[in-house]
Amino acid sequence: MLRYIVTRIALSIPILLAVFTLVFIVVRIIPGDPAEAALGDYASKQAVEALRERMGLNDPLIVQYLRFLGDLLRGDLGISMISGKPISEQVAHVLPYTLQLTFASILIGTLFGIPLGVFTATRRNTFIDYLGRIISLAGLSVPAFYFGILLILFFAIKIDLFPAVGGGDLKKPVENLKHLVLPALTLGLIMTTSVTRLTRSAMLNVLSEDYVRTARAKGLRERAVIIKHALRSAMVPIISIIGLWAASLIGDSVMTEVVFSRPGLGKMLVGAIMQRDYAALQSIMVIYAAFVVLINLVTDLIYGLVDPRISH
Amino acid sequence: MNGKRILWLMVTMLILGSLIAGCGPAATPVVVEKEKVVEKPVVQTVVVEKEVPVEKEVVKTVVVEKEVVVTATPERKEPVILRLGQNAADLHSLDPHFATTTQDRSLVDMVFNGLVRYKPGDGSVIEPDLAEELPEPEMVDGKQVWIFRLRRGVMCHPTDTTPSYELTAEDVVYSLQKSANPERSAYAGEYTGMTVEALDDYTVKITLDKPLSPVLFFPKVANYSGGFIVCKKAIEAMGDDAFKTHPVGTGPFMVQSYSPGEKVMLVANDAYFRGRPLLDGVEFRYMPDISSREAGLLAGELDVINGLTDEVWVDKMSKEEGIRVDVFGVGEVATVHFNTTVEPLDDPKVRKAIAYALDRDEFLALFGEPVAENVYSPVPAKFLPGGLTRAEVEKLGLAYDVDREKAKQMLAEAGYPNGFSLEVVTSEMTGYRRIYESMQAQLAEVGIDLKVNVVDHSTMHKLIREDVNPIVVYIAWRPNADVYLTRFFHSDSIVVTGAKPDTNFSHYDQIDDLIEAARVETDPDKQVDLWKQAQIKILEDMVAYPLQYHQQVYARSEAVDYGHELISVLALYPGITENTRIVK
Repeated sequence: MLRYIVTRIALSIPILLAVFTLVFIVVRIIPGDPAEAALGDYASKQAVEALRERMGLNDPLIVQYLRFLGDLLRGDLGISMISGKPISEQVAHVLPYTLQLTFASILIGTLFGIPLGVFTATRRNTFIDYLGRIISLAGLSVPAFYFGILLILFFAIKIDLFPAVGGGDLKKPVENLKHLVLPALTLGLIMTTSVTRLTRSAMLNVLSEDYVRTARAKGLRERAVIIKHALRSAMVPIISIIGLWAASLIGDSVMTEVVFSRPGLGKMLVGAIMQRDYAALQSIMVIYAAFVVLINLVTDLIYGLVDPRISH
Repeated sequence: MNGKRILWLMVTMLILGSLIAGCGPAATPVVVEKEKVVEKPVVQTVVVEKEVPVEKEVVKTVVVEKEVVVTATPERKEPVILRLGQNAADLHSLDPHFATTTQDRSLVDMVFNGLVRYKPGDGSVIEPDLAEELPEPEMVDGKQVWIFRLRRGVMCHPTDTTPSYELTAEDVVYSLQKSANPERSAYAGEYTGMTVEALDDYTVKITLDKPLSPVLFFPKVANYSGGFIVCKKAIEAMGDDAFKTHPVGTGPFMVQSYSPGEKVMLVANDAYFRGRPLLDGVEFRYMPDISSREAGLLAGELDVINGLTDEVWVDKMSKEEGIRVDVFGVGEVATVHFNTTVEPLDDPKVRKAIAYALDRDEFLALFGEPVAENVYSPVPAKFLPGGLTRAEVEKLGLAYDVDREKAKQMLAEAGYPNGFSLEVVTSEMTGYRRIYESMQAQLAEVGIDLKVNVVDHSTMHKLIREDVNPIVVYIAWRPNADVYLTRFFHSDSIVVTGAKPDTNFSHYDQIDDLIEAARVETDPDKQVDLWKQAQIKILEDMVAYPLQYHQQVYARSEAVDYGHELISVLALYPGITENTRIVK
């Protein structure tokens, strides 16, 4: 088991390196110059040139590449080209917010999605089932940023229950939690719809299996049949969709953080793109890639827990 | 069991405690506003029937004075913080000599002072700031000398490494020398030919190799761009890089903390020389998404936000209860520049035909009044001396009001009866894209086919400087007529080939003498006259078609009182000063 984990982590290094290289090339292909972006159109050419030199943009690309890579291998995310502050400091400040949001969304998605899926599967082709399917289809079609705005309009402006913008102070748990509710609902409810759909279809497959009929024939209570026999078998595809969602939530969190003006990796990423802060952009992308790799690893490990037939 | 009880007790106490804390008094400095009725002689135009209107002094009872009594913030009250949502992802640099973007300019405006300043809310008036009064220049050995006497008791903000200390001539000299150093300032070019020295602790002597009129000189030492005065000891102790995020000046607010991509917290400078600010601080938040800023304002979590330059948005927000929208200058001027070196735009007739094919009102409708307004010369007459008004250009026959028949006829005379086609790039930003798209539709009416390619904003800036566009739309604010004319129409500034390539997209070289003569003209009237002549020439040759200016749009909670009337602010935000307050 330990060997499996170590191998997986070792394998992820070339993946991260490839991501880093790709991002390094892509950010330099996209038009725009960090020095010009920083100084605006009023600054003289001379000033822009001086800033380019200071930012190290006049060095050959290979020198820039090796410098960034060297820093990264030492665990140093580098210095922001714009603020001149260590990127690791900025990441450390915003990462808790993104992690909070991602975990809370997964929690909402799972806690609502799985029971709803089971519920609708056991009431197949009833009114509730149809209603559930329509709602989940709607949920799948709504972009996160739009749903976020709707939630703000209702819960923050109309009835003033939760704050509309910001992330709250991490040192004040109540304030922090209040700020988390709407963004987490935005992502969590969208995820719920997807998890509900998948759980429903996985459950329907399992419920028609012979061993379920056998379990019922044995006289087991319906609850035990559903939860112990059917749901457990249906869990493998459900876990993979949760894993997939966890990875895509990281992407969705970008827009959600912008809409809610919530500090986080996503908002930092948008800022880095807008300001052409190559250094920050590269580091954030590598962190995102590391997350996806990590989530995949965790998902794989959980398979083994749920289904002992899968061994690593 | 006992343990469970204690736990319950603790939880109950915690809930009660937070409830009691939450019910505490709302904290604001107590501001009582009384209206005082006084009798005052006022000059009023009295119109008597069948007579010419005459100005008479009459005594009227009018409410003219507001007595504002502000008591000190009572103890145990929460600080009054103004929360401002700015349209930006992060800061670029708060070193005032590198602050070029709107978001940076507004912050440094609150932290620093200049020797002189633009009156808060009205950028057309210059008044003393760190200097005790506006000096008169004198000529010594063919050079122009300006002597500034500094206020006493102006204190630099304290930092972790340097305690608060009194600002002296040494800081002013250091600061202006920094502005002149291309390594340490984005505005160095404006400080060449200027020598600064300290005569004593409170007297600064500035010598100019070439004399300048006050209109051109004062902006160099005003609270804008290179004119901001930094505190020498603080910047030397922390270094230029740290100064970018922790600027130290003498202004009403001091930078307390900076969270990258999130916010900058400012606190009131208790020792501010104009008196302690009425606000306890300013929370300056970076919020690039308009819907998020809007939601924050409507939910009462923000007090001031940067709005959209769009009439529809202004109307919508004005209807919200408790919200006020301010539309004010300075206006960024949109001008259409024609490259006079490429066919067929090298023919003045073709350029004039295009001018007649364009309809200012159609462009205006894209943004709507009062957010945008028409202009008739490259220098906006509403904000700066030297601009031409509608009446002036009309009198000269240079208004170029839309006349598409005439345009077609002129094109035919120039040998293009069936029109021609041109290809341009535009920025993805709405302000630019809308103008180019509307121009495309308008030119199609006279047979000109304009192909418009959309690129990102910084790419457009790069490409137009490489002379890619035969027609360039440029939207910009420049602090005076000289900068407008020099950077857009002096031959040195011609893109690619000029001596100092800048933004002369039309390759125009016919008004260098007028621009240079105006620059050294010390008589303000004669100077304005020279600027006007230069622009008349631009319009006669139709190298640039002045289109419109876009004003600043900010929305605020009605509780916010900026403490000044809003006419125009160079820092492109409403201006937050020691007099700004929140009236609960």
